[in-house]
Amino acid sequence: MRPATNARAGSGDEIDPRRVWLGVAGELWRREPSHVERLASRLLRSAGLARALVITPSLMLSWLVASLVVITVGAVATAATGTPFVALFAPPVAACGIAFAYGPGIDPAWELARSTAVDDRLVLLVRALVVFALNALIGVLATLASSAARSGLTAGAGSGGAQAVGSVTYGWLLPMTAICLLSLATSALLGSSSAGLVAGLGGWALAVVGGRAADGAFTAAVTDPGWRLVYLSMALCCGAGAVFALRGVRGPR
Amino acid sequence: MNVDIKDVTRKFGSAQAVAGVSWVAGAGVHGLLGPNGAGKTTLLRMMATVIGPTSGTLRLLDRDPGAHPQCREIRRRLGYLPQNLGYYPGFTIAEFVEYFALLKDMPPNRVPAAVASAIEQVGLGDKARAKLRTLSGGMLRRVGIAQAIVNDPHLLLLDEPTAGLDPEQRVAFRTMLREIGERATVVISTHLVEDVAAACSEVVLMNAGRLVFRGTPRDLVARGASVVGDGGSGDSPLERGYAAVLAEARR
Repeated sequence: MRPATNARAGSGDEIDPRRVWLGVAGELWRREPSHVERLASRLLRSAGLARALVITPSLMLSWLVASLVVITVGAVATAATGTPFVALFAPPVAACGIAFAYGPGIDPAWELARSTAVDDRLVLLVRALVVFALNALIGVLATLASSAARSGLTAGAGSGGAQAVGSVTYGWLLPMTAICLLSLATSALLGSSSAGLVAGLGGWALAVVGGRAADGAFTAAVTDPGWRLVYLSMALCCGAGAVFALRGVRGPR
Repeated sequence: MNVDIKDVTRKFGSAQAVAGVSWVAGAGVHGLLGPNGAGKTTLLRMMATVIGPTSGTLRLLDRDPGAHPQCREIRRRLGYLPQNLGYYPGFTIAEFVEYFALLKDMPPNRVPAAVASAIEQVGLGDKARAKLRTLSGGMLRRVGIAQAIVNDPHLLLLDEPTAGLDPEQRVAFRTMLREIGERATVVISTHLVEDVAAACSEVVLMNAGRLVFRGTPRDLVARGASVVGDGGSGDSPLERGYAAVLAEARR
């Protein structure tokens, strides 16, 4: 270890080799941000927040590929059978991503990050929003693909295609929002990603089982319009819970 | 004053970790000593704005950490090394230090030089591009110190900073601390009284959540000398003072 002042020494016309070396080393060790990180930095107006976003565990390539595989399997099964598997798979996949976005169990340097100027709650919110948006995009694409394939398979179904897409999208987007907010609120309130994961998956399992018990069909949770009010209420309650857990004007908790 | 604590308490459920501590500290190196469970780490975490106090007031760098904009300003000028440094195994040393420089809101154009300076100060220049998973415990500790000093903090909080450092590194580290202490408030929580003797201008001793001694290392030595034969155990004069103050506090 070397004294701090040496690094900052040097005045007048003298050339301080140490200062020169630090300039060179800084450039040598400098990491080139990716295009995504640069874009995020511009949009978020914070290089730190952008860096925190691009290292989100549930936005890593391996995680995205795994999510894509699950939803693709759902899309293929939906196209082949007509059963809305995309709608059944999308909410729990997104909820897992939200639970693993940020927290003491997921981020090894969580304690350290909490002492920095970029607010940890802001990091969580930005990460959760991006994870949700990405999962929603994958879900929409899978829904469109499976509907197009189904229309091709079923002669004369083309006219009802757009309506079906709207219905199915509405059918899973609302439950996905509710389940994601449940996961976010639980992980934020309890400070545990595992708790968020259990809440998200458990909540969805209960909805599916409850739908089957009420309607007799295991797809009732995404096809029965009566459930929409339940999801809406759940989304509002969990949203309020998440806001309560993440309220940002009280300084350190 | 950079640290102004008034009657601060912190409870975790029914357990009281910090019980009515008042302390004022300006520039210099301040050693926080005490047995396990004395409340040192909790006090340090409150000063690092990681947790808030249950009661009492805390002002850091003349600002209130309970108010959001002021808290952010404090955090920009804060350096913190937690007891257990969490790290990303796939990051290089430079990437890790850079990440925290960015999280501390440093202007991006100043970051590369600051990262290089911090890494050089902890003597890891030749390992800057090594992945963290390949480093020894002592090297990881030095990486933790590098991220703590990267923003040239006005308040530097170090929890067990010398754990895992070899004697040569410890000597260099104390020299670095003394230099930083000339312009900033440095608080180190440690079990090693030799660190305190060599680097600190003030010693604060905690026991059972309370502050039981505050003075210079010389004052602590004097307390040990005054009670020889009555709880004055220890290998060095400072250890004897430490033991004597604790024995008195426990009576």
